[in-house]
Amino acid sequence: MNKLNRNYLNMPLYRAENERRSVENTLALLNKLRKNPVVGYVIFALILTVTQILSSAGLVNSSFVYAIGSTLIFCVVSLGFCLLLGYSALASLGTAGFIGIGAYCTYYCLAEWGLTIGVAFIMSIVIALIVGAIVGYISLRIEGIYLAIVTLGISQIIKEVLAALVDTIKIKGSQITLFGIDSLKLKTESIFYIIVGMMLLLMIITHNIMNSPTGRAMLAMKNSTSAAQAFGISLMKYRLLAFMISIIYAAIAGMLFMLYNRYVSNSSSTLFTLSTSLNILGAVIIGGMKSIWGTVAGTFIIYGIDKMFLQDIEFFRENPTLITLFCGILVVVVIMFYPGGLAQLLMEVKYKVEAFIRKKKEGKYGKDLG
Amino acid sequence: MAKILDKKLSSVQNKLLSLRQKLDFYQEELDYLDEKYQAKMDKVLSAFIKKADKKLEKYAFEACDKEAYAQAVIEEKLQKYDVKAYMKHREANHGAAKAIFAGGNVSEALAKNKEQIALINAKRKEYIDRLEAEKAEFLQKNSATSDKAYNELSKQLKAEFDAKENELKVKLDGKKAKEKASIEAKISKLQSKITELHGQLKSSDKLEDDVLLDIEGLKMYFGGLKAVDDLSFKVKKGEIFGLIGPNGAGKTTVFNCITQFYKPTAGKIRFAISENEVITLTDYKVHDIVLKGISRTFQNIEVVKEVTVLENLLIAATRYYNSNLFTQMFHLPALKREEQIMRAKADKILKYMDLYSYRDRLAWGLPYGVLKRIEIARALMCNPKLIILDEPAAGLNESETADLAALIHKIRTDMGCTILLVEHDMSLVMSICDHICAISFGKKLACGTPAEVQASKEVQEAYLGSGGE
Repeated sequence: MNKLNRNYLNMPLYRAENERRSVENTLALLNKLRKNPVVGYVIFALILTVTQILSSAGLVNSSFVYAIGSTLIFCVVSLGFCLLLGYSALASLGTAGFIGIGAYCTYYCLAEWGLTIGVAFIMSIVIALIVGAIVGYISLRIEGIYLAIVTLGISQIIKEVLAALVDTIKIKGSQITLFGIDSLKLKTESIFYIIVGMMLLLMIITHNIMNSPTGRAMLAMKNSTSAAQAFGISLMKYRLLAFMISIIYAAIAGMLFMLYNRYVSNSSSTLFTLSTSLNILGAVIIGGMKSIWGTVAGTFIIYGIDKMFLQDIEFFRENPTLITLFCGILVVVVIMFYPGGLAQLLMEVKYKVEAFIRKKKEGKYGKDLG
Repeated sequence: MAKILDKKLSSVQNKLLSLRQKLDFYQEELDYLDEKYQAKMDKVLSAFIKKADKKLEKYAFEACDKEAYAQAVIEEKLQKYDVKAYMKHREANHGAAKAIFAGGNVSEALAKNKEQIALINAKRKEYIDRLEAEKAEFLQKNSATSDKAYNELSKQLKAEFDAKENELKVKLDGKKAKEKASIEAKISKLQSKITELHGQLKSSDKLEDDVLLDIEGLKMYFGGLKAVDDLSFKVKKGEIFGLIGPNGAGKTTVFNCITQFYKPTAGKIRFAISENEVITLTDYKVHDIVLKGISRTFQNIEVVKEVTVLENLLIAATRYYNSNLFTQMFHLPALKREEQIMRAKADKILKYMDLYSYRDRLAWGLPYGVLKRIEIARALMCNPKLIILDEPAAGLNESETADLAALIHKIRTDMGCTILLVEHDMSLVMSICDHICAISFGKKLACGTPAEVQASKEVQEAYLGSGGE
């Protein structure tokens, strides 16, 4: 009502104001979009899709895009691990085992039983969940280094059991179908799109979980177990929840890996060994344990740089262990100087730039600049 | 047989618990209703005003006083210019100061500075002249003023606005009444269910009238160490009860036994949730105690420091959210509704505790006194019947302690809570407590009003040492 009574006779600047208001509205909208992280995730997914399209058109090196795809698969695992380590402060070294479960489920569903991707997806998750529930219920009573050791052992058991089933798993391209219709056979390109879509979905879900009562409960648990319990947060429930979520992500990654690469040899590949679990742990620590973008960036540093650039250099191709060395040094450096990871580094850079600008202004106009 | 009966009883109690939780939630929703509909109305009306403004703007220029318009334009432009001129001024002054400090000729630098400033002022005057000329030109071009069309439209829009407001009010009031009725129906249904279940409770033990918490023969041994040994006391409804004792007397252990962080070696801790519903706290898990209406604060502050103050309060309300994980994964409307209600509740408590200005700040680095208040606010978030304060005045100065005493009194009278506190600060305890229990090495020394406890010889000995030594 007040606004309507406003007398324009006393507000001669209506034109300038009107212009300013329209600019402000646009800025507010942009700001709202900028603050909504989902927009960022969608843009990320779009860029990846465009890269694949360019590669199909022959403009981008196809092996480069393939490397991005492989890295994205590990990003999925890291996202789950980010919830587990950054939000619940549980360190698990059993990630590789659950990737293995996802991969083997996909192999059996597609190659042995001739089922579709949808069934393989559900099967991977369900079996990983069953195993995870048993493991979690037994091992989540303990914390810290003990949990790491228990999960490491379990991962090793899973690997050996899987190796006893069949050592080399291989899916033919013709066996990958979406709905069981022959015309809908999927090529590697389409699988890249599936990976990007899955990544987008999981990023949004992870963000939502982090900003929901569950995420807050996990943070409370991480900071002080006694305060969390005093306010009705059951430690076992939320630990199990975080553990299960990270396991589901690992199983999904295993499935995507199997679809994308179609071939894994259990005994000769390092995928199901401790090194994968450690690399994921390293990626999450380098990225900054609580940030989604940090986690993605960390994974791209650990896996992406290796696959996208270093593999092209002959020196590194001949000495693959140097890549691991590089990752190890990076983790040490990050923990020594930036325990908050890349996310912290970015904040500090931002702060330093601001300080630099302020100092320059002070040099020109004197101190106490309002 | 007794065990089966107990089990049945506890299942009824659990049902009651979840029903009461729902009831609390609906009550919150009812409180939030007014705010919600006001916001809805505001949204529609502000959209209308925006539209009306746009319509009016067409005629506003014609209707306005041209002289005033031109003057305002000049002022605005001059303001912008002056910001720049000020910076130039500063630059000149700072440059002169720098030159002098670097050992330059003082008079020369001052002369140069004067010159620069004169130049800036001359430029400003020139600018003003130019603006005046523009104004004269503008006035020559647009001299006629006709506010007829503007006034007509404005009148019409005002009438429209009033009509719309009334219409909306009727419509929304109807909706609101409907929603209110539906929530109230749910509440009354729940209440009838609760009374029905209540009738089934035939708990064998009953506390005396007015007693909320009854501790009987509590023993807590850690191996050979008897931290609490055969302690009994009763806390009445609505009182402030203090537990005192020298360092290491086992006060915090008693608290941890009540809130089930420790399972007592022996003894009975009974709590009256409502009339003829008495529970034995030792039957429940730590994380279920808060649902019975007992919330606590901690000796060393246990606020989550990496989230905001508001989120800290929301953490305490975790058990009041009914939405499942799927809803939370996709932030479906059900969660948003709950979140709004809970935020409104948290805001209310933050305002009550005088913490609203810290609402969106990270708890990291907030002053100690504020953190203490956040802890109490967090405890209030779960509708407690009994608040357990573990050394609330530790680390506070005298004036802060006095504020705290007033706050505790205020909470007691406003919220109708019972308060049980451990404290070292004798002046605080003696001034605010209705009853006090003094313990030493896990054993009760004296129990009664502050004056009685002060007069007790055993208490004096425990604090000051016996006279013989």
